[in-house]
Amino acid sequence: MNDGSTSRASAAVTTGYPVRLQGVLSQLANGSRERRAIDAGEIDAIIDYARRNVILFPAARRALQEGARARAITHSGLLANSLLAVLPHEEQRRLLQGLESVRLQLGAVLHEPGEALQFVYFPIDSVVCLIATVESHKELGVGLVGPEGMVGISDVLEANVSSVRALVAAMGMALRMEATCFWETLRQCPRLRHELYRYTDDKLTLARQALACNCFHSAEQRLARWLLMIGDHARSRGFFLTQEFLARMLGVRRVTVTQVASSLQNRALISYKRGNIHIVNRSGLEAVSCRCYRRLKDLHERTARAIGLPGQLISRKRRVGNAPWRQCLPLR
Amino acid sequence: MNRQRKSKLRDADFTTVVMLRLYIAGDAPNSVQAIANLEAICQEYLQGGHKLEVIDVLKHPRRAMADGVLVTPSLAKLSPNPVANIIGNLSDKSKVLLALGLARKSRSVQ
Repeated sequence: MNDGSTSRASAAVTTGYPVRLQGVLSQLANGSRERRAIDAGEIDAIIDYARRNVILFPAARRALQEGARARAITHSGLLANSLLAVLPHEEQRRLLQGLESVRLQLGAVLHEPGEALQFVYFPIDSVVCLIATVESHKELGVGLVGPEGMVGISDVLEANVSSVRALVAAMGMALRMEATCFWETLRQCPRLRHELYRYTDDKLTLARQALACNCFHSAEQRLARWLLMIGDHARSRGFFLTQEFLARMLGVRRVTVTQVASSLQNRALISYKRGNIHIVNRSGLEAVSCRCYRRLKDLHERTARAIGLPGQLISRKRRVGNAPWRQCLPLR
Repeated sequence: MNRQRKSKLRDADFTTVVMLRLYIAGDAPNSVQAIANLEAICQEYLQGGHKLEVIDVLKHPRRAMADGVLVTPSLAKLSPNPVANIIGNLSDKSKVLLALGLARKSRSVQ
C-alpha cells in the first residue's frame, strides 16, 4: 500500500516538471530517499549522468535567474555611478557583496538630521536633495547628489549621524549598502576612501557656495541655478518637481516660487505645468542664474577630468557578463 | 623514557577533525539553507573541530560526477569513519546529527 501511494505521489510531482527532468526522475526508484527529498521540495538540482549535465529544478532555476538579474542590475548600476565606476575591479567586487539596488520614490526621506544612518546610497539615475533644517518649516537646500556621488558622507567621516535631511528630488534607481557594512568595506578599499574624501570636499564647497548664494542672490537667480543643477544631475532637461519642494530647497514661501517660475516661463526659459518642468532655453536660464552655477559646474568638471571621467556622464549601458545559470551547460 | 614522553605528547596533540563536503547548486534556495543549517550545527556541536568544503556543482560538475553525487544539496562526511551521506536542505537536525555521528541517543535507537 505504501509503495503504491508513494509511486502515485511521485508520478504526480514528476508530471509538473520539464520533459528532460522527467526523464531523469523516472530513473529514480520509487520510495528512494532522493525521491522523498524531491517530493518534500528540498532538492535544487539533479545530475544527469547519461547526458553528463546538471539539471536545475524549476524553483531553483527561477531563484537563480532572479538573483542573477538583481546582480546584473547592481553591477550595471555600479558602473553608472561615477564614484564607483572609477574604482579598481578588486574594490568593485568587494562593494558588490554588500550593495543592493533600490527604487527611490519622489519625496522619500532617506536620512533625517540627528538620526543614525542605516544605509548609504549611490544614485544611479535618481537625484537626492540635501536639506538643512532650522525649524520644522524653515529649510534650505545645501546640496544635490546624483549619479556622480553618494548620500551619507557623514559615514565616511566616522560620524554615524546625518547632519541633513536627504530627500529624493528625482525618482529612479540607486544602490544602497548598510552603514555598518559600508564602514567595513571602506577600511578595505583605499581607492574608494580616497574618492570619497575628494567627493566630501566637493560637497562642502557646494554647501558653502549655497550658503553664500542664499545670502546675496535673488530667488529668481537661485531657482534658475537649482533647476540647471537638477537637470545636470538627472541628466535630463525635463523632470518633475512640485512648487512646495522648490520652496523648501530655496528657503522661500511657495508663493514666491509661483511668481518666479511664471516669470521664467513668460520669458520662454522653462515650461512649467503641474510640477512638470522642462528647460526650454538652457543658455537663457544660465544667463538668469547667478554665477554660482558656473563656478560649481567648473569645479565639478575639473574634478571629473582629474579622475579620468568623460565630463559629467558615464554611459549607462554596459555589457554585463554571462548570467550564472548559463553555466549549467552539457559537458563535453 | 623518551619514547613514553613522545607518545604522551602525541596523545595530547591528537584531535579528531570531521571532514565534510557539501555539494550545492549556486545560490538556489535549498543550497543557501543547507549551508546556513550546516554552519549552525557545526558551530554548536563541533566548535571548529571540522573542515567543510563547499562544492558548487554548477561550477564544478565534473567533480560532483566523479564523487558520485546524484542530487544537491548533498552532504558527505568523509572522515572519521564510518562515512555518511545525507541529502536535502539539512533542516532536520536530528537526521544530520545521526549522519555525522554526533547524536548519541539516536545511535542507541539505531
